[in-house]
Amino acid sequence: MFIDRLMNQTSGPLLERYLKFSEARDKLLKENLANVDVPGYRYKDLSESKFIAHLRERAAQRASSTPGSVGFDDIDSDQENPAAGILFHDQNNRSMEKLMSDISKNGMQYTMAIELLKKQYSQMEMALRERVS
Amino acid sequence: MFDTLDISASALQAQRTRMDTIAANIAGMNTTHDAAGRPNPYRRRFAVFAQGMGGRGDDAKKPGVHVSAVKLDESAFRKHFEPGNPDAGPDGMVLTPNVDMSVEFVNAIECSRAYEANVTAMEVTKGMMNASLRLLA
Repeated sequence: MFIDRLMNQTSGPLLERYLKFSEARDKLLKENLANVDVPGYRYKDLSESKFIAHLRERAAQRASSTPGSVGFDDIDSDQENPAAGILFHDQNNRSMEKLMSDISKNGMQYTMAIELLKKQYSQMEMALRERVS
Repeated sequence: MFDTLDISASALQAQRTRMDTIAANIAGMNTTHDAAGRPNPYRRRFAVFAQGMGGRGDDAKKPGVHVSAVKLDESAFRKHFEPGNPDAGPDGMVLTPNVDMSVEFVNAIECSRAYEANVTAMEVTKGMMNASLRLLA
């Protein structure tokens, strides 16, 4: 219970949720890349801006609530079909440049979230050990 | 996240099959007889991609890509004027495969780049998995 409350007050739950979002987005982006030569395939993505907006809203709710009462597990982002580049003669709207940059950007954001989470855990570990380093 | 690797792997497999058909087209571009020795020019083949992993059962519903068929290009054979060729018709024309080297090379480059892109995507996935594992360290 103590650990749960402690964890919920940091940015840990937000980062965990963000990691799940990045993982789901990565899967969709890889699916887009795999289907780059499939006639009629349309680009799929998750809206990062909507997801971040939901996270911010929930974080604001958490700040004004009792510890542990507001969670982040139910925050999700809907799959959408953004217009990514021109529509080719095979009805596929592929854009390799956008796709590859989205994949690397998403990968870096995932790594950044992991590093931040790692930092959180090490700080918590330091606090539990009552010793710096 | 292992599913993501499967998606990229399905694309690698599909692109390899496509490359196989391109290689077969280039290899057969001067073939004017079939396996039985009859005058029957090689007909160009091409791979048709479809969404999903393909196959049967649950795998078919998984995201990815697969080669749904390798089809024959029904366009007309090319004709060359070679009156001395034993396969020439009364007009002196010999039918040759409907393979265009330029088209095949362009397709081969596209296929190779798509393969590379998917390998890069797999590397990114592996990097993400490694980063997650470092959380435990």
